[in-house]
Amino acid sequence: MKYDDPKLRELLAGRYVLGTMPRRARARFDRLIAEDAAFCADVREWAEIFAPIDAAEAPVAPPQRVWRAIETQLGPARAPAAPARGSWFDSLWLWRGATGFAAAVAVALLVYIGVFATQETPPMPTVVAVLSDSKSGAPAWIARSGRDDQVTVSALGRQTIDAGHSFQLWAIAGGPPRPLGLLSPVPGRGIAIPSSAVPPTGGVLAVSLEPAGGSPTGQPTGPVLFQGKVFSNPL
Amino acid sequence: MPDAPFVTPELLGRVARGDRAAFAELYRLASPKLFPVALRITQRRDLAEEVLQESFVAVWNQAASYDPVKGSPLIWMTTIVRHRAIDQRRRRSNLADATAGSDEALLALVAGESDRADRGAELAALSRCLDQLEPQPRQAVLLAYVHGYTHEELAGRLATPIGTIKSWVRRSLERLKRCLDG
Repeated sequence: MKYDDPKLRELLAGRYVLGTMPRRARARFDRLIAEDAAFCADVREWAEIFAPIDAAEAPVAPPQRVWRAIETQLGPARAPAAPARGSWFDSLWLWRGATGFAAAVAVALLVYIGVFATQETPPMPTVVAVLSDSKSGAPAWIARSGRDDQVTVSALGRQTIDAGHSFQLWAIAGGPPRPLGLLSPVPGRGIAIPSSAVPPTGGVLAVSLEPAGGSPTGQPTGPVLFQGKVFSNPL
Repeated sequence: MPDAPFVTPELLGRVARGDRAAFAELYRLASPKLFPVALRITQRRDLAEEVLQESFVAVWNQAASYDPVKGSPLIWMTTIVRHRAIDQRRRRSNLADATAGSDEALLALVAGESDRADRGAELAALSRCLDQLEPQPRQAVLLAYVHGYTHEELAGRLATPIGTIKSWVRRSLERLKRCLDG
């Protein structure tokens, strides 16, 4: 199977969401989703396409016994997961007594460089920010870091906008907002911006409603419809 | 009309860290939306309850693997419920064919009234694109999504070879995608 063929991937994701995929194929697809963000995005698009059918159902509260049955299966409250680096760091710590502090530091540096250099080879997209609707709080856009020092900003669901307006993205970090580009309202059609243009952690990405083609002044002129804090600096 | 309380990624994040109170809140918000989906596919109340129970235990155990890239938390949970409901449905040997609605009834559901304006717009777009499909392929897609039919069941119900069913589904998905992206 050539999973890198976007057409095939899209079809498989469609059958996964539609539910016609046999169970074993679906289990295999679940593993692909866990490993590959491109599959995640395909699945999300299909799920969002069909979701209005489910959303149109009148809500039905399940009987109390369902929640009671769930509670008995939860097990004890979980401790937060240990940081991933703990294991090799701990083992280095043990070496310290045997090899001397300077040697341990040298090894630690080498391991550090080695670990982080190899970790960078498969570029796992990380979420840089989620921009939420200023009124409802609903998540609407996502900024993810990916390959080549770029951050992609795309719609999580289809956004509605008339032909006379554009969604414009801004970086806010202390000074006046800096324009980053016009966003596509269609999920999966993200725009790429250089990582260096994204504000540092704690800064804000915001989307304002502007005349078609973007703000004529270089500063936001319309309402800020969406915004989100940068919680993971890509650099 | 104000939005119903929203299942946020933050709430799911607290569930991932083992917060029982957050999980109870998640259940309170999401279960009335997910239960009808399980009911619709399993067509049996006891089985729908079982599916909902299994699904929420899975949500508790897998919350850490949720990523906003996978869609909103509700969409992510809907996929979990749908797949479990479909598995439950497939395990039953005597699938009551009578339970499936007619094409008209299904289309009525898709074209049905929605009390949420934003959902209404999305539903209208999907409905418009479904309308552009040929009647039988459209029915196949709807029976699969709405009631969880397999290719084999679709072949039986629509009295059509399974190879044809598969190509209907493939072409319909391609056309829907083009229509909704256009």
